[in-house]
Amino acid sequence: MKRFFKLSVVFIFIFFIASLLLDVFFTILLSQSSERNKVENVIHSFGKKYDVIIMGTSRANNHFVTNLFEKKGLKSFNYGISGSHLFETTLLLKVMIANKFQIKNLILEADLSICNEKRDDGTTARFMPYIHTNSIIKEHYKNESDFKQLFYLPFNRYIKFDAKIGFREVYEVLVKKPTNTLQNKGYYPLISDKKGSMKNDISALKVIRNKYYEEIKKICKQNNINLIAVMTPMCQNTKGLDYFDKVKKQYPEINNFENIVNDDRYFASCGHLNNEGANIFTNYIINTFFK
Amino acid sequence: MFFNSLHFAVFLPIIFILYWFVFNKNKSWQNSLLIIASYYFYACWDWRFLFLLVFSTLLDYFSGIQIEKSKSVKESKFWFWLSIIINLGFLGIFKYYNFFATSFTELINGFGFQVNPLLIKVILPVGISFYTFHGLSYVIDIYYKRIKAETNFIDYSLFVSYFPLLVAGPIERATHLLPQVKVKREFNFEKAKEGVHQIIWGLVKKVVIADSCALYANEVFNHQEQMNSLSLLLGAIYFAFQIYGDFSGYSDIALGTSKLFGIDLLKNFNFPYFSRDIAEFWRRWHISLSSWFRDYLYIPLGGSKGGKWMQVRNTFVIFLVSGFWHGANWTFIAWGLLNAIYFLPLLLLNRNRNNIEDIYFKWNFNGLKTLFQILITFSMTTFAWIFFRAKSISDAILYIKNMFINLNFDSQYLNNARYAPELLWLIGAFILFEWFHKYKTEPISGKYENIKLLFCILAILALGVFSDYKEFIYFQF
Repeated sequence: MKRFFKLSVVFIFIFFIASLLLDVFFTILLSQSSERNKVENVIHSFGKKYDVIIMGTSRANNHFVTNLFEKKGLKSFNYGISGSHLFETTLLLKVMIANKFQIKNLILEADLSICNEKRDDGTTARFMPYIHTNSIIKEHYKNESDFKQLFYLPFNRYIKFDAKIGFREVYEVLVKKPTNTLQNKGYYPLISDKKGSMKNDISALKVIRNKYYEEIKKICKQNNINLIAVMTPMCQNTKGLDYFDKVKKQYPEINNFENIVNDDRYFASCGHLNNEGANIFTNYIINTFFK
Repeated sequence: MFFNSLHFAVFLPIIFILYWFVFNKNKSWQNSLLIIASYYFYACWDWRFLFLLVFSTLLDYFSGIQIEKSKSVKESKFWFWLSIIINLGFLGIFKYYNFFATSFTELINGFGFQVNPLLIKVILPVGISFYTFHGLSYVIDIYYKRIKAETNFIDYSLFVSYFPLLVAGPIERATHLLPQVKVKREFNFEKAKEGVHQIIWGLVKKVVIADSCALYANEVFNHQEQMNSLSLLLGAIYFAFQIYGDFSGYSDIALGTSKLFGIDLLKNFNFPYFSRDIAEFWRRWHISLSSWFRDYLYIPLGGSKGGKWMQVRNTFVIFLVSGFWHGANWTFIAWGLLNAIYFLPLLLLNRNRNNIEDIYFKWNFNGLKTLFQILITFSMTTFAWIFFRAKSISDAILYIKNMFINLNFDSQYLNNARYAPELLWLIGAFILFEWFHKYKTEPISGKYENIKLLFCILAILALGVFSDYKEFIYFQF
């Protein structure tokens, strides 16, 4: 049995060394990259100046045509991230402020995302390589139930989020494979001929007093950023559209633009405008706030 | 609780320490601990089905004793059939009832009647096919006086519910496992070390090979109508390695875990994809099930004694039953039938026992012939897996049809942001590694074992699929 315990110690040692080596290797490589996604781009950028930035989920990413703002002479960037929640939007804004971004206006898409305070694992993964080196990121995740595992167990964060920051991502960083995330100044147009599902049911969504939205408001106030919170369009065949009225009731300052684009031909899927629809919508926003 | 979960990584060391340091007074203590651990292990899936496991244990335990005590053949027969009917009855209700009800109503409706099937909403209890077969083999062996009935209830309970084999085998025999649980186990360093290495290698097969292949195979099979010939071909190959990595990986972990408790389980896989014909494949794939069907179905049916046509009939019976054992779907029956058809020429030409000896490969004409035979056997097996994996027979036929008529061999970008052919490198490396270690129980032990262990751990951590978590395929059977 003594021999077996020695073997077990060797095994645990090998396991620990392997985890540590991989952790260091993955962290160094992924931290070098700054162009493959918006999170790492913000983390590696300092002192950027914007007239307008757009933040939120895919409904921000696909709905705000950045070039239309630029044509108006407004320096802008679309930082909307598909799948993200307000949890990550808040963190991204905090990192921007820490990196001395100068932002005049923040257009925040705050509609479907207002109903939850959970994190999105896909976006969270992008922050994970920096959890030891960036105190803001560390602080933001401190209250998460798995924080200790993510922070203290070597390589655990790369295992947990292997689909996003696993060896495939490391390989693609290594070969400098480009992505289209930063093209069109962050705006991602939906041009596909194939239509997605043109119906949706949001009747189960419950509007809550979202602490991350409150935090974004606070950060904007402290940093003199003009916050423009908006709700963006859904297709006609959406059950439970009164959700948007409930959000408006809870947060009167959020502009309800859900019905600005109605016709389904302007949608790529029920919750996402196509490029044509996004142009109409963005022009409406520009005319409303930046005339 | 899956073998590839953190829960199991905590559970196993706790039971190991308790087993060798607290419950090591005698075999009853050891067995009692393993039963408690096994019931806990099973309850982690669904505690409600524990009653079924306990009932099955009690039934076969008492039936065994009653069969042995019977003073007349009639009495013995009564207890024997009682056990068989109840065991198969449970399996039938939980696993096959809805299939038969639906198939029957479809048949009736085919004659122009309008009947709705009376279905029952029931979850399939994990491992029911495995522990039922344990019990059946035990009762059959007593009935035919091959073994004595076990009178120690604790020992017998452990035979049925021993956690490493409880949910997906190997399907043990009383003649092999019971003698081991009837004596106190002493710690054996070499066995335990081999066990640890086997667990690690099993994890490599599961999380690196099987789960990576699953990402691609699922994408291809789930969107087969959009796939070209190359992707469909690769999808079938990936599934072949998924099911092999998954099930043989599970078996390795089960065998390795059991070795930590001083108990040897039956070998379930012996590098099946290096088989030179389909008969050899079935001697190397899911060995405990194949041998179960051979001993408890093929031989009682007359085996190879009654002339060629009897052999053909019996072969078809065991392949069809074996297919049906896997699940209540026509796809499994088609898979079994296809394997029987593959087997038929070998049987008729008396070549089904041609490749009994191990492969000794040399780079000469015979070596190339062997490689060619292996490739042909693998292709046939992979083709049959399409039926096993498809949701329905029509899906399988459509898959095969598109594979042969599309004839577009461009590298296709899948919906999960991966190119169809990119996994071939990993599979190639895996095949080479297995080839060079094909005479060993596990490839880690031996020269440079710590370095090999390090590489295996690195592979599990860096190449393993964890977020897209998958349970073992054979748990559903």
